[in-house]
Amino acid sequence: MTFPAKHSQLMDTQLTERGRTVLIRVVRVAFPHARLPDGPYERTADIILREADASNWFRVALTQGLGSLDGLAGGDFCALDDDTAYKVLRRIEGTDFFGFIRRTTVLNLYDDPAVWAALGYQGPSYDQGGYINRGFDDLDWLPEPRIEEYEGPVTFQPNWEGPGSTATTNGVVAAPARAADSETQGHLNATLSTQQDPRQGVRPAEKNPEKASI
Amino acid sequence: MTDFDRNDDSVVVVIGSGAGGGTVANELTQAGVNVVLLEAGGHLTNDDYVDNEWEAFNQMAWLDPRTTTGSWRIAKDFPNLPAWIVKAVGGTTTHWAGATPRFNPHEFKTRRHYGRIEGASLLDWPITLDDLAPYYTQAENNIGSTHRGGRKALPANNNYKVLANGAERIGYHFYATGPYGTNAEPYDGRPASIQDGFNFQGDKHKSKWSTMVREIPRAMATGNLQLRPNSHAEQITHDARGRADAVLYLDADGNLQRQRARVVCVAGNAIETPRLLLLSGSAMFPDGLANSSGQVGRNYMRHTTGSVYAQFDKPVNMHRGETMAGLVADESRHDPSRGFAGGYYLETISLGVPFLAAFADPGAWGPAFTSFLDGYANTAGLWVIGEDMPQESNRVTLNSTVTDQHGLPVPNVHFDDHPNDVAMRNHGYQQAELLYEAVGATSSLRTPPYPSTHNMGTARMSARSEDGVVNEYGRAHDVPNLFVSDGSVFTTGAAANPTLTIVALALRQAEHIIDALKKQEL
Repeated sequence: MTFPAKHSQLMDTQLTERGRTVLIRVVRVAFPHARLPDGPYERTADIILREADASNWFRVALTQGLGSLDGLAGGDFCALDDDTAYKVLRRIEGTDFFGFIRRTTVLNLYDDPAVWAALGYQGPSYDQGGYINRGFDDLDWLPEPRIEEYEGPVTFQPNWEGPGSTATTNGVVAAPARAADSETQGHLNATLSTQQDPRQGVRPAEKNPEKASI
Repeated sequence: MTDFDRNDDSVVVVIGSGAGGGTVANELTQAGVNVVLLEAGGHLTNDDYVDNEWEAFNQMAWLDPRTTTGSWRIAKDFPNLPAWIVKAVGGTTTHWAGATPRFNPHEFKTRRHYGRIEGASLLDWPITLDDLAPYYTQAENNIGSTHRGGRKALPANNNYKVLANGAERIGYHFYATGPYGTNAEPYDGRPASIQDGFNFQGDKHKSKWSTMVREIPRAMATGNLQLRPNSHAEQITHDARGRADAVLYLDADGNLQRQRARVVCVAGNAIETPRLLLLSGSAMFPDGLANSSGQVGRNYMRHTTGSVYAQFDKPVNMHRGETMAGLVADESRHDPSRGFAGGYYLETISLGVPFLAAFADPGAWGPAFTSFLDGYANTAGLWVIGEDMPQESNRVTLNSTVTDQHGLPVPNVHFDDHPNDVAMRNHGYQQAELLYEAVGATSSLRTPPYPSTHNMGTARMSARSEDGVVNEYGRAHDVPNLFVSDGSVFTTGAAANPTLTIVALALRQAEHIIDALKKQEL
């Protein structure tokens, strides 16, 4: 990681309030969600600062990295519009300091219940009795599908290998072997058919044909 | 509380309490055999589980350091997390979602049916589907698989409605909400699902099967089991005849303990199992215990996987309900005309916002990424899971420079996709996109494989001791009283989720051990 040493702020090793402000802006530009208020971004920035504080290397890298952004912005990084700020971040995305911000943000911003609410993720439901009465099946823009296994005229054939079958990808499958017919053919219906299925004749024939065909 | 003396050499020591180890321990203790069950993790129970993705991850996941090499994307994005498995009583059955398809018959004989595939170390299993069928039935009954044994199907949740309608519209037939290892109605003393999701986080409600809720408490009730949590096995020792005679392990306080044993069953998942065998090398077994074939750690398989998350202009709310109660089996066939050998399933999957942000496109940031997350409520998801090619060079080895918190060499997991894997994954992505487009998707995202949840093949089963580690019962070719009881024994991976098959193989193995003990052969 090299930064121009002629800028004295790049030699800083302790984060300042200005650094925090820039960091919040970096997190929002890198992970923009129009629906999110400032709170989750500020909390994430503070987690990044706390984690950086636990490591000399990351604290120094973060301090110097944030300090370099104003220079790259030609003045004040926080004054840039979203598109321009995003382009600045693309230029430094390979740096350790940005990687540290990105990783820590992904792990923490999206673990924030305020973010879940904004994105429509309801999270745990156990204390509320699960989702069984809270919309686990409330999707109504598609027909109700069959939930039982298929019982129609088509038979599942697990092994389509046969005379003349050849593979076509990069010659990967060279010379498919001929099936030992007596062994395989006898099993053709196994996994998904009712014939060898150990279901012991339970499944009632309650399938509604109107529902079954979508 | 049962307590066996550490010098009691009449006990069977089982290492690992997941699908394989938990099942073997239960079967043996039910038959009156005394078992010491060593589990590296703690004894978390349903009340301990947390319905928060990261909190649960930090509570349950196997986070001991590991390293990765190879061209798989995991080595770049998650270099110290090759696998997403559990370190707790119940092992990865506490994390599994619940899909329980059986293998197809030809998937036991892939060398014969797929032919010679460049770079692949395909080998036929020494058993057939017929050999395993009765144990599959028993495993389904133990797990409580829906759609099997008279058990009801789970209802359609929102994510399934999208999957099933899309499947129907592109001409698929073989879709359903199962078979699935979570109760649709009360079964086996456990309640019906309340569609509370968080299958990957342990399931607080107990409607999901795991060895933590079923096999282990039952085994303890026999009085023949001593469960020792927080006990990390570090070596299996042997006597002058080359028979396993004890397991060295670190207890909760970090003290080295030695438990003598009549029989040892290893079920540490397909990374820890070969690691333990490699750590158990000796003058008699210089390349690691049970490794005269040189196959220990090789042929590591993780299934060819990938996800597609599609977005719609109407709500889906995929997070509500059972995570994986939706399977499409049409592509699970072997059909070389598609351009690859083997098959795959399409299964519903749903991640919450915390995990989707981390795993949807690791490393991504910026407006395109956040606008995808803005569409969370209108997102449906599925997982492509298919057979990957075994390769000798995909391999678990001991890292000679990195050690774990106990000072033991960490496992390094090397993985490169085989061209067949790439072709299958791309086909799966494409079919998934067609499926979702057929029901109106406005966009979709191809998500790369997650850290591996299906780990297989590193102590593979073979008819001949030259090309595999264990025989058809999971018994080491080289060490007659050493068994491997987990997915490490898979000769090839098949398309099916592995848990059901691990349980079925463990049931068959336990029967074999009990029989051999009765005949004084062990």
